[in-house]
Amino acid sequence: MASSPDSSEPAPSPSTSPQTEKPPIEPIRLPTVEEIKGQDIWNNCAVRSVVSGVMGGGLGLFMGLFLGALDNPLMQEEMSAKQQFIYTAKQMGRRSFSSAKTFAVMGVIFSAAECIVEKGRAKHDTTNTVVAGCVTGGALSAKGGPKAACMGCAGFATFSVLIEKFLDRHD
Amino acid sequence: MQIMGMMEKEMEYRVEMFNKLTQTCFDKCIEKRHKESELNMGENSCIDRCVSKYWQVTNLVGQLLGSNRPPM
Repeated sequence: MASSPDSSEPAPSPSTSPQTEKPPIEPIRLPTVEEIKGQDIWNNCAVRSVVSGVMGGGLGLFMGLFLGALDNPLMQEEMSAKQQFIYTAKQMGRRSFSSAKTFAVMGVIFSAAECIVEKGRAKHDTTNTVVAGCVTGGALSAKGGPKAACMGCAGFATFSVLIEKFLDRHD
Repeated sequence: MQIMGMMEKEMEYRVEMFNKLTQTCFDKCIEKRHKESELNMGENSCIDRCVSKYWQVTNLVGQLLGSNRPPM
């Protein structure tokens, strides 16, 4: 039936000519038990969305810090330098925290939606990204009413497709 | 003696079924243009479903062949 996991015959390595040094061909290895377990863990929708949420939170933290540092206080002439510094620091902290929350929620929703859609369709496509982007955009802008939700859906779907194409550009 | 022959036939049958199963599910589930070396989630669930359905079909067809001796 299936070949035993340890049957790996080393393929003959090519003779190294003085001009070209090819890397040695590695023998075929069946995946080990740890690799299979690792793949199973990564294929779990809950684990994936939590990891995406944490990464989104980290990204939002840094973005919020950066954008908060650029924010100028309103009463610039009346405050001394130290007061301005404290105000800017507090602003940075507040901004980064709220930004981290937003990005974390965005990451969780997007990853969970994409995972569920891909598992349901049993296909790896851009349609998964479009649907997941639409759900995320709609969920994030649902407070503004149905029209805002539609715009958010379309915008975020386009954005995520572009990002996906950019990340897979080396073909 | 006959038992050895039967076991051989059984083994050959199982090997044949395994080969056909992997060939069918590979052709059905995995794109011709391989973009990466790891199985992604869609392909993984496709292969799960393919194997399950193939196995059920095999069992069902076997039962139908075994029970109804005269042709329908």
